[in-house]
Amino acid sequence: MRHIPDGVLRRLDDEPLAVPDRFTEHVADCGRCSARRASIARDTELAARLLSAPQLVPDADMAWARIRRELQWSREERADRRWRRAPVISRRARFPSVSLRAGLVMCAIGIVVAGTAAAATLTTIFAPTHVAPVSLSQGDMRAITAFMGLGDSHVLGGFPTPDGSSTVRFGTIKWSSSGSAHPVSSLRAAAGEAGVPVSLPARLPAGVGAVQQFIVQPRASVTVTFNSTAGSLGGSSVTLDAGPAVLAEYAATSGTGVPTLGVATMPRPKALSTGASMSQIEAFLLSQPGIPPELAEEVRLLGDLRTILPVPVPPGASVRSVQVGGWPGVLLADKLNAAAGVVWEDGRRMLHVVAGILDSRDVLNVADQLG
Amino acid sequence: MGLQTRHDERLECSDARSGLAGFEAFFRDHYRVVVRLAQTVVGDLQGAQDVAQEVFLAAYRRFPGDYEQAAGWVRVAAVHTALNVLRGERRRDKRELQVQAVSSLPSAEDTVIEREARAELRRVLRRLPRRSAAALVMRHCGMSYVEIAEALGVRVGNVGTLLRRAESALRKEMDRETHS
Repeated sequence: MRHIPDGVLRRLDDEPLAVPDRFTEHVADCGRCSARRASIARDTELAARLLSAPQLVPDADMAWARIRRELQWSREERADRRWRRAPVISRRARFPSVSLRAGLVMCAIGIVVAGTAAAATLTTIFAPTHVAPVSLSQGDMRAITAFMGLGDSHVLGGFPTPDGSSTVRFGTIKWSSSGSAHPVSSLRAAAGEAGVPVSLPARLPAGVGAVQQFIVQPRASVTVTFNSTAGSLGGSSVTLDAGPAVLAEYAATSGTGVPTLGVATMPRPKALSTGASMSQIEAFLLSQPGIPPELAEEVRLLGDLRTILPVPVPPGASVRSVQVGGWPGVLLADKLNAAAGVVWEDGRRMLHVVAGILDSRDVLNVADQLG
Repeated sequence: MGLQTRHDERLECSDARSGLAGFEAFFRDHYRVVVRLAQTVVGDLQGAQDVAQEVFLAAYRRFPGDYEQAAGWVRVAAVHTALNVLRGERRRDKRELQVQAVSSLPSAEDTVIEREARAELRRVLRRLPRRSAAALVMRHCGMSYVEIAEALGVRVGNVGTLLRRAESALRKEMDRETHS
């Protein structure tokens, strides 16, 4: 009988019952085939050792929630394409026209909006210890802004005035701040005025120049007071305090004047409630008409909202959970990885945002120096 | 908006809902193995989950309403997509080296050794022929010869040969890495 092919010898170790007896008998009697089998087994063992990294169990519920959201976005995009006859501008072509500050403002407003919603789910205090992503579709953004009474025109600009109030279906929302965002002369002045420690990266990615300005956003607060239509919540209120924040804005080395990188630092936001329980408020908010059920489910999947700051993930963005200096963070990037941002809270209870017209690795490299 | 269009949209929504239920069942049956395959290649859970998400979204579009046909496909796609990630990483390697000097803090010697071994494996995997690498990863993630044959579209009798060549190449490449 001819010697046994390598492939059969290989299978003999994995699935011996699938190999015909005559082959097995031959190997037992043939020194050459036995030696080849032993050599093959050594290679198999090496491969097994190399490929046997510890396997962590993935969270299928969370993964499914994200996939379903992605599919929903795709359907919405198809619907948009069907009805919008205006020429479509590619994301790459459109992006540079959006200034970094506008991007950071959108991010900050998103955090405040989501933070307010999260704050309203707290019993007495909201003190997040880490961040977690919440995917938002265009429909969710519209639903949240309508629900919070912000209106379409305010979505990108935040609240229309430094102080004011708005009536919504379930009560009133009051906001106030100790001033508007303004530039200051130096890092020391910014840190002194805000009263927060601010670190900046020692090494910058290629294309990023010096800091072109420091901006301080004074402390701001938003109070939601529930009326009688909110059932058992009627009369109670929740106040979210955020800031002060310092933003360092970096210029491009090309001298275009367009900021390429922003580094923002602020204490973690906090919220106080006058007495409603977390479960009461969470159940109320998530069951409101207009709040998409998928969004409600995703918020529920976050877990204990008292310790989690939801980071809104806009449609089309990719999101990853990362570690920055050992602390959990959320990394967002556009589809082309031409712009990215990372948000995390460190062990000193400071919230950091690093964002720029850079790929996600460059953004993470900057973040790692601060973490 | 015309009545016909509204009708079409409602039908589409209804189709989407029923299709989604079937797709969810398929997803839950195969998600873990897909993540495991991808994790074996890319080396970290988060990266593997990103690969899995990409693969399942592609499967949803490629096999509308007939997801059971996609069981083998998602496995192959997971390995190939993960290998693509590795090949993308190679382009960034030079920059990564500069970054590591700033940001990585080795915590213990064994961790460093382990990390280096994983990096070595990834370098070798991306040099292996695609089908060999796929067969290797599939087998060492527990897939049977029949499953591998179905997934790769080869005869069952050829799987052993593929594996043998892949493992032999893996050993030679690892030797080369060690001595280079």
